Amino acid sequence: MEALSNTLLVAVTFAYLGVSVLYLCNGVFKREFFGSAATVATLLTLAVHTTAIILRWVASYEQGYGHAPFSNLFESLVFFAWTITLIYLIIENKTRMKVIGAYAMPLAFFAMLYALKLDPAIKPLMPALKSNWLIAHVIACFLGYAGFAVSAALSLMYLVTKQENDPKSKRALLLDELIYQTVVVGFILLTAGIVTGSIWANSAWGTYWSWDPKETWSLITWLVYAAMLHSRYMRGWQGRRLAWFSLIGFGCVLFTYFGVNLLLSGLHSYATGKT
Amino acid sequence: MSNNPSSSSLGERVWSFFASVKLSFSLLLILAATSVAGTLLPQKEAAELYLREFGSTWGGLILGLGLGDMYHAVWFRLLITMLAVNLVVCSLNRLPGVLKIIRKDPAADLDKKRAAAHSFTLPGQPNDAAGAARLALAKELGKVHEKPLKEKEGLVMLAQKGVWSRLGVYVVHSSVLIIFTGAMIGNIFGFSGDMMISQGETLDYITIGHDQERALGFSLRLDKFTLSRYANGMVSEYRSDVTFLQNGKEVQRKSLVVNDPAEFNGIDFYQASYGQSPGKVTVRITRDGQTFDAELEPKRWNPLPGGGEAGVLEVRENVQMGQMYSGPVARMAYKPPQGEPMAITAFKAGNKFPQKGPVKIELVDVKIVPYSGLQVKYDPGVWFIWVGCCIMVIGFLIAFYFAHRKVWVRLESAGSGRTRVEISGSTNKNRIGLERIMQRLHDNLRGGE
Repeated sequence: MEALSNTLLVAVTFAYLGVSVLYLCNGVFKREFFGSAATVATLLTLAVHTTAIILRWVASYEQGYGHAPFSNLFESLVFFAWTITLIYLIIENKTRMKVIGAYAMPLAFFAMLYALKLDPAIKPLMPALKSNWLIAHVIACFLGYAGFAVSAALSLMYLVTKQENDPKSKRALLLDELIYQTVVVGFILLTAGIVTGSIWANSAWGTYWSWDPKETWSLITWLVYAAMLHSRYMRGWQGRRLAWFSLIGFGCVLFTYFGVNLLLSGLHSYATGKT
Repeated sequence: MSNNPSSSSLGERVWSFFASVKLSFSLLLILAATSVAGTLLPQKEAAELYLREFGSTWGGLILGLGLGDMYHAVWFRLLITMLAVNLVVCSLNRLPGVLKIIRKDPAADLDKKRAAAHSFTLPGQPNDAAGAARLALAKELGKVHEKPLKEKEGLVMLAQKGVWSRLGVYVVHSSVLIIFTGAMIGNIFGFSGDMMISQGETLDYITIGHDQERALGFSLRLDKFTLSRYANGMVSEYRSDVTFLQNGKEVQRKSLVVNDPAEFNGIDFYQASYGQSPGKVTVRITRDGQTFDAELEPKRWNPLPGGGEAGVLEVRENVQMGQMYSGPVARMAYKPPQGEPMAITAFKAGNKFPQKGPVKIELVDVKIVPYSGLQVKYDPGVWFIWVGCCIMVIGFLIAFYFAHRKVWVRLESAGSGRTRVEISGSTNKNRIGLERIMQRLHDNLRGGE
């Protein structure tokens, strides 16, 4: 079952490449066929992706470890790609703007590609990760990260298609609003992620906040996005500046996710063990 | 408040400085930027380390600015305090206006002229269309207020929804203050320390920092420490079975596991680390031509038969010295009946090392017992944190997902038996949502045409 799950995940990775190309074709050739094909293919891929995650979950029970598949970098990347696709599909459904897919779906592909380079073996949980808060914490954080990722994709689209040349156009205003709304979703979920993380830390280490690099970087990300949300109430921060803000915020997300573990782990041992 | 700085008092200027969103914006970004430094520089290390690693100039600067313990530095705390003041002043500044909007009678806005989002004509008189419009508006936004037009035949109606959502942002801001309060209460009234306790040992104090002891008012006994492993060798569980005792009486038993702490008299105990320490050591002592065995408890003086005292400082279970020796080695402290205490190294009984001083101590039996490192904490502020966090998330939902929306429907006679319908609206956020509502109203009213 673990092997089947892994095979499906390889297939899913290249399916994400495929749907990225379809969304790109949709943007370039403006033919309805590509758009519909892309949406159907993405829905199918998400279904297979979901199946693979559930299979992995079941497999861990068969091996006697029995834990949710959120316990290491491999599993978190697979889940990250899943959340990006989910959030993107919700936005496509709400806005009917399929162009966004050409910017959002490659992110899911790259997350999966990175995961494929890692060891996929199911391992038992270390004592610190044995907590009921694991699932709530990981789901909140990664749905939040996905919200920020889609916002960054929208921002990239805003800048690449030079919406700032006509910032009052209907499309530019819609993109501006979407960049903001996806950050709001991400921000609320990141807050929930930090809160569940604090509750967990409080029961594992006896302190809800210890200024550990992972915690601190999640706070830095939170502060940057909090500033971005306040910029809404200041003149001149819409459009291009908002798009850049969202991209910088996503840079902080990526550093919180990867950078802390890769670059700062030497100072604090748990950072390598956590998600 | 005056816009002319020269005519405003210092108090007013301070107030308007703290009432600005630009200040909040800047403070959030400054806090983010400075927090980065604390994750790059090692924290809470000895001063020598910074001087050695970064040189005397940069190391001195790091120490001078408190960057070695940045999150507790005065200037960092000052930034957080400024943010708190900013939040309070901003809220106090805007809240009266918002309360006025909430208390205002919506009917007062019926006469407001707004650009129409949809404008079309329907057959019939204004009153014919009024019923359907009233129903549609009520379905979208609730209670409908209306009045006849003054200058022409017709009427205007208005409904609003979610005016209370304007308070959402203040809910969020107050939650931040509640969290700050909780953190301060924890800092002032709480304490945290640790307890290294050997299996079988009973302790009634914890250690704070390096050497400061604090009495608990009750005691804790470690009955058993267990380390379990998975089949592949990874640790699966650290468990300390403990008993809490009050005045020497057993009150409560509990198993401490990582992620499952125990609470007693408001103080929390967490499984943090483990190790091995010397247990009972049986020694053979030879002095003044006599040899006798004695059983020594670890980490304290034990009186010896015939006078004097001895204690075990440190035991190593198995020391290899090539051909010369292999076996346990202990560092002992010995106090003769008269004279100064001395340190003695003890080897297993029957070893070939010659006696050096007035006494020879040999190890007959060495017991190694596991010890458990417990994190101990008392934090009366922690519930403020959790309540603050809940209020914050609820506040976000109110502030971001509920909007104060107003929609006007104006029905006006257009002559020749037709009625002009104008739909307009206003919202404090999410224009797209408002436009959808107006679109639905438009479709609804025009549907019968």
